[in-house]
Amino acid sequence: MEMILMGLCVAVFGMGVAAVAFGAATRSVSSDSVVQPQLPLVKAAAPARFFSDRAAVTPTVPSVTPRQVPIEVLLLQIENHVRMEQAAAEVFIAFPSQAHLHSKTASPFVN
Amino acid sequence: MTHELLNGLSSAEAEQVLRLGTRLMVPAGTELFRLGDPADRLFLTERGRIRLTMPMQVRGREEDIFVEEMAPGQTVGWSALIPPYRFTLTAIASLHEAKVIALPRESLQGYFAANPAAAYKIALNLAVVIGHRLQLSQTMWVREMQRTVEVRSA
Repeated sequence: MEMILMGLCVAVFGMGVAAVAFGAATRSVSSDSVVQPQLPLVKAAAPARFFSDRAAVTPTVPSVTPRQVPIEVLLLQIENHVRMEQAAAEVFIAFPSQAHLHSKTASPFVN
Repeated sequence: MTHELLNGLSSAEAEQVLRLGTRLMVPAGTELFRLGDPADRLFLTERGRIRLTMPMQVRGREEDIFVEEMAPGQTVGWSALIPPYRFTLTAIASLHEAKVIALPRESLQGYFAANPAAAYKIALNLAVVIGHRLQLSQTMWVREMQRTVEVRSA
């Protein structure tokens, strides 16, 4: 009888320890879940910074790219633009209409 | 070779006008005249092409920007007949050597005074040349303005 009671006590104690351990484990998980919102924030912040960096870089691209073009190429592009505009103007003078006045050309300066 | 400025003239009249001038060879890349220079001669293009340019600031540097190219038969430098007799563009022979006839203003004015009928035809031809340039410039200006308005109101 005493042995049974002793075994029962040990079993109850063991279950108590297990319960405490489970509780502790569960609490640690829940505390992690409290921290977790910060992780997504951090993760969200990183892409946001990434995109904001891209957004910051993107507007500078048009101003940087033409500077990388040799001036001779740029002058040639200007000349081609003038030639295309002149051809479009010639068509308007030959056949005056609003559509011809504002017709599009393939010039990279206006596309 | 027919010159737009001499349209409608008899061959004798055209020959008389051409005899007033001097034939010039302009090596490729050589200036015929520069913007601001006194315009005392009018040029008839006979061979090659003449590029007309105007200065523009590109990356902080002054560059001659292409405006128009004149082919054989076309007239270059009509500022010689229009006050204040200053060239408003720079003219350069294109890739190849060009051949032009340079007609001094004084000689032309003397011919016009002595031959009013021929002078009238030349004046009409000049009006066509100037009118075409005006129409081109006007059209190109409106096209650029349209784009500026679109960009600014976007």
